[in-house]
Amino acid sequence: MADTIKLFVNGVEVEVEAGKNLIDAIGAVGIEIPHLCYHPALGADGNCRMCLVGIEDGRPPLVPACKTPAQAGMKVLLDAAHIKKIQRDVMELELINHPTDCPICDQAGECKLQDYYMSYGRPESRMTVPQVQKSKKLDFGCGVVHDQERCVTCGRCVRFCRQITKTGELGIINRTDDARVNIFPGRPLNNRYALNVVDLCPVGAMTSKDFRFKQRVWFLKKAPGICHGCAKGCNITIEHNREKYQDDIIYRFRPRLNPQVNGYFMCDAGRLSYRQENEGRLLEARLSSQIRPLSDVLAACNQEIERAGKIVVLLSPNCSLEQMVAVKTLSAKLGASLSGFSDGYVKAGDGDGYLIQDDKSANRAGLTLLGIDCTQETFEEAVREAQLLINFNNDLTRSYTDSELKKLLKDTKVIAVATHNDRLTAMADIAIPVATSSEYAGCLINCDNILQAFALAVSKNQQPLDIGAIAAKLGSPLQSRAEQFAELRKYISILKDFEADTLPAEGLKLNDSEAANVTA
Amino acid sequence: MSLLDSVMIVVRVAFSAFIPLCFIAVCVWMERRGAGYFQDRSGPNRANIFGFRAAGLVQNLADAAKLIFKEDVISGHIKHKFYFVLAPVIVFFTALVSFAVVPFADTLVVGGKSYIMQGIPLDLGILWFLSFVGFSVYGIILAGWSSTNKYGVLGALRSAAQVISYEIPMGLAIVSLLVVYGTVNLNEIAQFQGKLLFGFIPMWGAVLQPIGMVIFIIAAFAETNRTPFDLAEGESELVAGFHVEYSAMKFAIFFMGEYVAMFASSAMIVTLFFGGYQVPFLSTATLIGQAKPVAFLLMVIIPVVMHFFAGWIRRSNVSHYPRENDPRVFEATVYIKCLWGLVIFLEIVLLAILFSASGGATAHIFVVLLQLCTFLVKVTMMIFVYIWVRWTLPRFRYDQLQKLGWQMLLPLALLNIFITSAFVVALS
Amino acid sequence: MGAKVKTMDRKGASFQERLYLIEIFKGMATTFGHFFRNLLDNRKLYVRHYPEVQPEIPVRWRGRHRLTTHADGTVKCVACFMCQTNCPANCIMIEAGERLDGKTEKMPVKFKIDLLECIYCGYCVEACPLDAIRMDTGIFSVTDNNRESFVLELPELLTTPGAFSEEEYKKGGA
Repeated sequence: MADTIKLFVNGVEVEVEAGKNLIDAIGAVGIEIPHLCYHPALGADGNCRMCLVGIEDGRPPLVPACKTPAQAGMKVLLDAAHIKKIQRDVMELELINHPTDCPICDQAGECKLQDYYMSYGRPESRMTVPQVQKSKKLDFGCGVVHDQERCVTCGRCVRFCRQITKTGELGIINRTDDARVNIFPGRPLNNRYALNVVDLCPVGAMTSKDFRFKQRVWFLKKAPGICHGCAKGCNITIEHNREKYQDDIIYRFRPRLNPQVNGYFMCDAGRLSYRQENEGRLLEARLSSQIRPLSDVLAACNQEIERAGKIVVLLSPNCSLEQMVAVKTLSAKLGASLSGFSDGYVKAGDGDGYLIQDDKSANRAGLTLLGIDCTQETFEEAVREAQLLINFNNDLTRSYTDSELKKLLKDTKVIAVATHNDRLTAMADIAIPVATSSEYAGCLINCDNILQAFALAVSKNQQPLDIGAIAAKLGSPLQSRAEQFAELRKYISILKDFEADTLPAEGLKLNDSEAANVTA
Repeated sequence: MSLLDSVMIVVRVAFSAFIPLCFIAVCVWMERRGAGYFQDRSGPNRANIFGFRAAGLVQNLADAAKLIFKEDVISGHIKHKFYFVLAPVIVFFTALVSFAVVPFADTLVVGGKSYIMQGIPLDLGILWFLSFVGFSVYGIILAGWSSTNKYGVLGALRSAAQVISYEIPMGLAIVSLLVVYGTVNLNEIAQFQGKLLFGFIPMWGAVLQPIGMVIFIIAAFAETNRTPFDLAEGESELVAGFHVEYSAMKFAIFFMGEYVAMFASSAMIVTLFFGGYQVPFLSTATLIGQAKPVAFLLMVIIPVVMHFFAGWIRRSNVSHYPRENDPRVFEATVYIKCLWGLVIFLEIVLLAILFSASGGATAHIFVVLLQLCTFLVKVTMMIFVYIWVRWTLPRFRYDQLQKLGWQMLLPLALLNIFITSAFVVALS
Repeated sequence: MGAKVKTMDRKGASFQERLYLIEIFKGMATTFGHFFRNLLDNRKLYVRHYPEVQPEIPVRWRGRHRLTTHADGTVKCVACFMCQTNCPANCIMIEAGERLDGKTEKMPVKFKIDLLECIYCGYCVEACPLDAIRMDTGIFSVTDNNRESFVLELPELLTTPGAFSEEEYKKGGA
């Protein structure tokens, strides 16, 4: 905990963190100062004037809270009549040209302007002249749709493009009530974080083409999760909803603040990776291309395992630590050779040093930590000798072309424990559906050696089992997540202090000795 | 045995077997239309055959067709299927048989031989009725028990307790009645009531035994499981009570059994308390003697009644909303024509009696028919009372029911016996 | 004393009432009065001869729903989901989509009302910001013999006309 200072808000003494501006400092203790243009990641701009507060120490009567650092003994005035009046007046100013688009606006329900109108303004419109007409539904590229009429010209999006992505595609053109955000002609948004402006926009001026009109936001259930798109492990909010008579479906991923990992943002690819959770899923267990009940298929698997002389077990680098431990004990029990070969998951040169990583797998550090061999030579050698390959959701098509794969697996039976009904699953002799990352709870270690836990977010109508449970059904001695977690403690000593569901939300930073504790 | 003997046996058995069955339709019709009129609505009046709705009687046909063609379900959980099927049969059969001893006309004397107008000419009379009415509750208990259903069992238990409670006052009411009549033979009881008290009051049971009558009627309501004593069904708390698991014709037989029981107990009430088949003020002997004046009187009365009845039909049987070429007017015209035809037929029959030899077999048969009609009219009026009570009184609470049976009716019946016995002893 | 207090006598205490039979006869006299009156003249029955005589539907009656249209016949609804959000029976199922005719940006692609689940509370009408859904069709009897036909779809909702004129509807205060 950083240093704390004491100051007064409306005459009441509160203790806040030092070194922050008033909005953040007081906001952290639950007292909200309305603001539109200020965003902690983008710094203070001071253009919206919504955060004007009074300081009773001889300063000018009103100061913007976003630009004012919190100081000890400060007397902050929030509920005085003149503060209320300025808030009301600012709201009225913002709403002069704001269209009544709420019924068709995707932001409605999470719109700052809407919220502030309800809590700070409620002015009746006094306008007698027609509203200023601006362009609507402008395609800014990268899946961002802009509505200039709804914009309050807070400039968050402009600052994001300048400060964070340093691409500067957006700018505010014209002045006064004709001011509007726009792109330069012929140069649309072109960066891999562009959709963050949709989250940043406090109103509905920036909307996502992907999410546009799909759902009203108040229907969405929000669950915390971890993006499995790359080794960064960005913290996300999984927003899903079960419509009447239908299945629970994820509608969008949004970044969730974690200063240790991703800050406020995430990349567009990760944001859109929610589609993989919904589409192309393997839903039914298959035995040589016939749909059969899971119990039958599992029995057939056990027969195959008994019949086979040598077995190779292949793990996905996206599996959670619990699943890896479960599969590891399974393969030890079966006497199989275990591999985590997944070179195809690495796209060299794709990383940008900010959030996007080369490695597109979520838990390669976990494979290393558990001492699972990941080399191509040992995997191929083992496959050539083995009669049976049990593939736990490792997408081999990323590492091999189809013909290479056919050649490699021609004498080997394949049991695919897979989330998706893709080419690889189609090649398998036996296919077993399993849960994707939003449908189970587990832990991951990201590229920075931070161990993060995530909970189950989505419950499908027919919830598939997760890999750990399938491993248990195939004979792994670790039957439950608690047992898996207990086993995990043997590898990661710091977990001794935690239970599976009490891991800190911001993640555990593993030190080098633990990460190096490979064969313990 | 002559041919006439055989014909008379067939006639009387047929009468006591089929009249209750025919009256099921009449009862149901009276119940439903009556309920409608009591509640200011019209009751079933839509079902028709070629536009003829017979004042709603066609609805009975529709209901019967529905019940016959419905799936007859015996749930899988019912273990004793035999008893399950037997139960409605018992209810129906006992109700039907209990009517068999009721005389529907005075003894017919034709050709020097007398023929008793009763289904089963038994001297047991009233005791037969009591025993079969008591037995009918076995059907209900069996139905409730074999349904393997908690509501069914509750209904059956209520029914059993209720019958035990009300059979005692009923029996005691009859005891005091028997003290007056001095016989258990129902025909003799009916003949007894043909006399006149003080020369101008019919010596009916209702006059001689008013308290006994009240007790008997209340107990009879309870025995037939009619409102306000239909706790065995109790829709609101027991769903349907004992017949909750029954469907289609098995349910229909329960339903019909209830109406037959109502008819039988109405007949019994009429026989015991309202002079049975006796025409008021006119004993059998008087009627035989005065057959021709009576027939002449009827010849005058029937067309007059028919005239007013036709007017009522014409008024009532119209559509109460604007309608071109109202088919109900045509319907009414057809009914009136048919009824006038019937009246003409009756007039011819009565004319024949007028011109027949006086005091002969014709007069005897005429009197029997007259008494038969009187009996049926009386029974119909009693059935109307049943319906009337049902649509007036709410159902008793169970404790009220038992309290009424044991604390009111039983002491009252005992008291009645003492008073009656004292009178009879004093007068004789 | 704010509220008026009226003390009711408890009935059934007097001897005459406790005899019970007398009260029964009184009651039976009442019911027989009704019976006899109706028997003599069956025009006095309190009966509407439905279906020949249809009830008069007032403007504020909440009948089956319809979606209103612009003058050119296009749907007014912008799929804001207010009705679906407010529906206590969860009987409205909307799917929104892009509107390309320039009137606005959003419109319903699918709009389903499950009449078997609808409780006809009228909250959807009250919630609608655009007067796009109304319950003024005057249709009170919704019958069919299969479940699917009770789910109203967009075309049916749009083509069902209102039973009242615009002035009547506005005056009805709905």
